[in-house]
Amino acid sequence: MNITKTKEGSRLTIALSGRLDTMTAPELEKAINDSIIGVDELVLDLKELEYMSSAGLRVLLSAQKKMKNVGSMTVRNVNEMIMEIFEVTGFADILTIA
Amino acid sequence: MSGGPDNSITIPLSGRIDSNNAAKVEEDIRAKLAGRAPSELVLDAQKLDYISSAGLRVVLRLKKSFPGLAVTGLSSEVYEIFEMTGFAEMMRVEKAYREISVEGCEVIGEGANGKVYRIDGDNVVKTYKNADALSEIRHEREVARLALILGVPTAISYDVVRVGDSFGSVFELLNASSFSKILANEPERYDWCVKEYVGMLKKIHAITVPEGKLPPIKHKIVEAAERIKDSLPDSLGDKLVKMTKEIPDSDRMIHGDLHTKNIVLAGDEVLLIDMDTLSVGHPIFEFFNIYNAYIGRSELDNDIVMRFQGFDQETANRFWRDTLTAYLGTHDENAVKTVEDKIRCVAYAYLVDWAVRHSFRDEATAALWKSRLVELLGRLDTLTFEVDESSGDPDEIEVDADTGSLEAVIDHVGARLDALGCPPKTRMQMELAVEEIFVNIAHYAYAPEKGRAWIRAEADEAERELTVTFTDAGRPYDPTKRADPDVTLSADERNPGGLGIFLTKKLMDSVAYEYKDGKNVLTVRKKV
Repeated sequence: MNITKTKEGSRLTIALSGRLDTMTAPELEKAINDSIIGVDELVLDLKELEYMSSAGLRVLLSAQKKMKNVGSMTVRNVNEMIMEIFEVTGFADILTIA
Repeated sequence: MSGGPDNSITIPLSGRIDSNNAAKVEEDIRAKLAGRAPSELVLDAQKLDYISSAGLRVVLRLKKSFPGLAVTGLSSEVYEIFEMTGFAEMMRVEKAYREISVEGCEVIGEGANGKVYRIDGDNVVKTYKNADALSEIRHEREVARLALILGVPTAISYDVVRVGDSFGSVFELLNASSFSKILANEPERYDWCVKEYVGMLKKIHAITVPEGKLPPIKHKIVEAAERIKDSLPDSLGDKLVKMTKEIPDSDRMIHGDLHTKNIVLAGDEVLLIDMDTLSVGHPIFEFFNIYNAYIGRSELDNDIVMRFQGFDQETANRFWRDTLTAYLGTHDENAVKTVEDKIRCVAYAYLVDWAVRHSFRDEATAALWKSRLVELLGRLDTLTFEVDESSGDPDEIEVDADTGSLEAVIDHVGARLDALGCPPKTRMQMELAVEEIFVNIAHYAYAPEKGRAWIRAEADEAERELTVTFTDAGRPYDPTKRADPDVTLSADERNPGGLGIFLTKKLMDSVAYEYKDGKNVLTVRKKV
């Protein structure tokens, strides 16, 4: 998985590509925790993300809980396959999907 | 009443024992035993016609007073009562033995301990020479049963009979012919024999035996090495002991006497027989014995192989080399030779010790064995070799139950999905299920210890369905029983656990759990 961070003021965009799974989820968690301070708008761009398992969902849930108190989190460019995972697990209602 | 002062006492039972006379029967038996503490109390039930639960309670009370209680000579009807009530598992309970004669029967096998006769079209009897045959029969039946449960195709004796002065165990074995017979009479089936024989070796060597169920074999060879070390020149004896000790311990199954007379084709099934030598250990302990059966014992006298196996030395040499090569899965002759030398070293060490223990008279052969051993010890530095422990089943892989193996597992399943021409969406769903289940095993099955997992992925091209089976020998756990998360809760209320198995259940066509033979077996299926 590749993680690309773009910061514009207090808005942080994290673009993911490849696979978000058991092996790579800790990297994303660390990337978010390392750069979340001072951010009030977190955007996760999943355009290039090919795969996500429950390990990825857990990182998203934890980021969502953190961001809720200080601002907002948006998930973008969700492909059909990952959208199904969000829907089945109820994450489609928890997350703000743009 | 008969028997020594305190070892074994036999008391006959007769007629009916029921609530009318149970108290009296018990009183009589206790009176006979007054003041004595036999290590074994045998109730001889040859003349016992019937026993009710009141009678069984007498037996149970006697068992409490005399732990070494056994009931023998039971008729089939009375034996059934003991078996149905579970008594047969609490104490030694033996049926009266049917007597059979093997006069004029065809001898279909012969081993060190006795002969095997065909008594009719469906049945064979294995006879035993020694006096202690019953405990041997019992042992063999137990290990055969264990082997069968662990997935080894074998025959289990269903009856014990009297054959002359000794005992025999009866097996159902239809139209069986040993591989020795096939190799001797049907040379055109040579390649088939090699393939099936190697498949069988791989299969049993892939079986992990639960601890304590079978004896380890390594120490026997270490002991043999220690017995002969002083007879070897220079410090080669010490080297032999050191190298045998260094062979890694293993909990994999070893047959222990797997030459071609002990593998048979019965109908269209390949079975192993003669299970009494079953043990656990490194495959070198399987192969040294095979080497001796084909080559080691007959190097100077090639007739030995012909007499014992029924095929000539040339066939034996070729079969040995071809099966070892196929087993190792390499065509590199040097690699095969290296492993063979290690096997030969153990084989000759065993033979040198065997010659001493049996006061072997053929001095030329004994001298050859020793010179071979000395030559090998002079140039070998280790007896260990790596073997591919996979079952030989291309659909199955065995991995460490660790997340580090995840990629290999996904790739293994992915290759079967490719074969089915799977669309990307289904592929991701399948990969997700595989990841969730495997990671669960990796995190919890053995924690904090480590262990192995087996993943079998099978593509059914006709049904366009993929079946993946996960097996681990860790603590019993049925993930399908886990409560589903409430997917209507808000982010703050949501608990991060349970999502993986929930997704798996939602995305697969079926998820089934079974706890079988001490293993967790989880099977998922999906049409692609």
